[in-house]
Amino acid sequence: MSHHHHDDEFGPRHAWLHTPELAKLNEKLDRRRFLTKTTLGLGALAVGSLWGGRQLFGGVAKAPNELTEDTQEAILKALPHFAPKAKRVVYLFMSGGPSQFETFDYKPKLAAMFGQSLPDSVRKGQRLTGMSANQSSLPIAPSVYNFSQYGKSNTWVSELLPYTAGVVDDLCIIKSLYTEQINHDPAITFFQTGNQLPGRPSIGSWVSYGLGSDNENLPTFISMISKNGNDQPLYSRLWGSGFLPTRYEGVQFRSGKDPVLFLNNPDGYDGTDRQEMLTYLKQLNEMQQSGFGDPEIDNRMAQYEMAYRMQTSVPDVMSIAGEPDEVFDLYGPDSRDPGTYAANCLLARKLLQKDVKFVQLYHQGWDQHGGLPGGIKNQCKNIDQATAALVTDLKRTGLLDDTLVIWGGEFGRTVYSQGKLTKDNYGRDHHPRCFTMWMAGAGVKSGITYGETDDFGYNITQNPVHVHDFQATLLHLLGIDHERLTFKSQGRRFRLTDVHGKVVNDILS
Amino acid sequence: MILLDIPTFFGRLHPLVVHLPIGFLVLAALLDWASYWPTYKSVRAAVPLALGAGAASAVVACGLGWLLSTTGDYAPALLDNHKYSGLALAGVAVLLYALITPAVRAYVALPKKVFSGAFVAVLGLMSYAGHQGGNLTHGSDYLSLSVLTETQRPKPTSLEQVFVFEDVVQPMLTRRCGQCHQDGKLKGKLRMNTHADLLKGGKHGPAIVAGNLTKSELYRRVTLDPAHKEFMPTDGKTALTRNEVALLKWWIEKAAAADNTKLTAVKGSEAVQPMVAGLLGLSGSTDAVVQEAGNDAHPPNPAIPMTGDTARITAARSQGFVIRIMNHKPLMLDVTWPKKTGQPVVDLAVLTPLAKHIIWLNLSDLNLTDSQLKAVTQYSNLEKLRVEKNPISNEFLRSIAGLSYLQALNVYGTHITSAGLTALKDMKRLEKIYAWQTTITASDVQRVFKDSSNVEVIL
Repeated sequence: MSHHHHDDEFGPRHAWLHTPELAKLNEKLDRRRFLTKTTLGLGALAVGSLWGGRQLFGGVAKAPNELTEDTQEAILKALPHFAPKAKRVVYLFMSGGPSQFETFDYKPKLAAMFGQSLPDSVRKGQRLTGMSANQSSLPIAPSVYNFSQYGKSNTWVSELLPYTAGVVDDLCIIKSLYTEQINHDPAITFFQTGNQLPGRPSIGSWVSYGLGSDNENLPTFISMISKNGNDQPLYSRLWGSGFLPTRYEGVQFRSGKDPVLFLNNPDGYDGTDRQEMLTYLKQLNEMQQSGFGDPEIDNRMAQYEMAYRMQTSVPDVMSIAGEPDEVFDLYGPDSRDPGTYAANCLLARKLLQKDVKFVQLYHQGWDQHGGLPGGIKNQCKNIDQATAALVTDLKRTGLLDDTLVIWGGEFGRTVYSQGKLTKDNYGRDHHPRCFTMWMAGAGVKSGITYGETDDFGYNITQNPVHVHDFQATLLHLLGIDHERLTFKSQGRRFRLTDVHGKVVNDILS
Repeated sequence: MILLDIPTFFGRLHPLVVHLPIGFLVLAALLDWASYWPTYKSVRAAVPLALGAGAASAVVACGLGWLLSTTGDYAPALLDNHKYSGLALAGVAVLLYALITPAVRAYVALPKKVFSGAFVAVLGLMSYAGHQGGNLTHGSDYLSLSVLTETQRPKPTSLEQVFVFEDVVQPMLTRRCGQCHQDGKLKGKLRMNTHADLLKGGKHGPAIVAGNLTKSELYRRVTLDPAHKEFMPTDGKTALTRNEVALLKWWIEKAAAADNTKLTAVKGSEAVQPMVAGLLGLSGSTDAVVQEAGNDAHPPNPAIPMTGDTARITAARSQGFVIRIMNHKPLMLDVTWPKKTGQPVVDLAVLTPLAKHIIWLNLSDLNLTDSQLKAVTQYSNLEKLRVEKNPISNEFLRSIAGLSYLQALNVYGTHITSAGLTALKDMKRLEKIYAWQTTITASDVQRVFKDSSNVEVIL
């Protein structure tokens, strides 16, 4: 009887659906069992919900999936919440935590305090990492590099960043960023996803989910990592979609023959066959989808289709052969070497030109616990010219007008030396209480410095900007109210900024 | 599975069942009192039945009411009033009924007049409990004396009719603060119903001090860091928008926090008039805009129509335009014709119905000439225009001089010259001209725009 009933329900057309899993599912909903369970259980359930059991049972009554979908649709429909200033974002992530002392945060008074112990009144008992917590002293290490003022804005920039100094009037330098995390993994995850624990969508995924694509032939969110990174590791969750549908995940572009892995047809395999195969695959997926209704199947189909379109669009956009020499001169000699930061900056410009909405570059190697003067000099040399070139290139082509450029790492570094301090060598440990980032372009004031730190470069004295504030501001520039872009997962609504974040209105133009 | 929510189901019967004791008890009182008249003497015999039914149904109503109270979000204070008065009523009814049962009467004989008098208490208690129940359901201001005396202010239809306090500040405070600072729920002993209430203030002194922001506790509270424990409104209730705070500030500082004053009568009110118009939805305006863009210092251009025909957007998209909605109200569009190999000639005609909605336009690198781009001059609300890398000349620049909202113009890699720049000199809102890869030089820019201009020419 009950088997017959099942056949009626799904019809002969879906005979293939008689998988063991489904049979089990059907059994669960078997009418007789249902009635038995519910009538016997009814009293108990009613009493249970009387005695404070509401939380336990209340939600079950309301088909949660349907509600969520409705709400999600409404949330997306309301976007953008107001007219955006920025249409695209390029985020130059300096992984490892660049020192603010040797780059933008000029602390001339430290010179006189060379080697003195950091006063407790400044540190105020703040926790240190295990790497320097047991040091017998915390000797103050002034920057060995000199600073000068540049541009009409008279902004102090270190001698390590001569090219960046040249575009300083286009930058909005924020010296008062702070974070809650003191180690790389949680700090970078916090910056990129709004939470220190893995599992949340990255900024680019939120943006991609909220605003959609402006170029259907390329991913909305693309990440690239400079090659030869042998420092703190990076993980795909930094551009992952977390609990958002997987089609909003950032697509990693690599240097070399296969910018996107497994995108090209295997050797000797004809493109027409591929297309035919994909057409059949799609039919299979559609059948599966109508049977199970798993939204991930839709995502899978969308991704196959995107991959197919990318077979032609990616080689085109990733080819730098057509660029004039003048462009390579601008980005520096590295830009001819695929996979370098400079080459990635050039590619980023090309992607932005194609209206890719969110391009994220990662450059590792900023984690100088020891030998900082040499290490950071090298790091700056690798990024300085190309970074400035990107700003210049975006500006002269007009893209800077609606593109937001962001430069920065996951935290700053300590004023005191980790390990031995000598006149020309020292290290710096992680420092979450203040660090410097800059933004440039769409909707952001140019040629300004925002926020101040104390003479030790240890605490913020003016206009602190929390990581969530930064994220809120980023979304704001794209026309998104960070409090209204939410997604319901596992029974609660999440947002990039959790329950925090204030737009930094002072830096908006 | 609805089966799980038995308490909710039965709880919701409470408002129905609760009318049974009301009817029965009124009937019992009526029968008892009427029996003093000889005509109705005989009905006394029915009193125990009516009273018994009333008492029994009151008990049932109490039970259902309790179920309902566990399932709804009711204000605890109001709920308690209703709960305990309801329980008391049921108790009194049961007691009265017990007193007239033969078994009890054998021990205690209640005098007839006392019994009749007790019905006054029953009806009084019933009215109170019923009113409290009404307050729970409809809100405590649903049936009150102030409803009798209250007069509804007519909504002003022009800025000239607007009173600063009555039409702007008070509705705003009621909206944001009313829930907790009104009759019935005076948090912090602060009542915010009237102008006088604000001047009187609450536990922490006056809420408003004319002309003095620092002494105005209300202003201090709403401008604190939202994470601060004294920030208002508290408990995650919707905070005042930036515009609302700005208006509040202006009212305290510049309008002497006065009531009964017309907006236009206050000196310097021009500064806030657009904001007020937006807030009150005046002059065909931007109600939704100011609400939506609450955080935006620059309200959108009022010339952009609020809504547009979305079918036209779909039509333009099907022709190959990429159209991004930048804002819903007013409807602002960002339109791009992406460069494709072997593409057909761009036909701008399909954009004509959307002309006033096009705010950003990108027609770069499409080999378009001056005459092919003529339609652009109709897009009167354009703010950003990208026509770079097209074979256009100074004639194009002259043709767009009337685009008075244009802020950024990208003409790099075109045939324009310094003579063409002159045509852009009087465009008031123009801030950026991208003219890289043209014959224009820095000295041309200097000659045309001088130093005083807002225009930055990027070469």
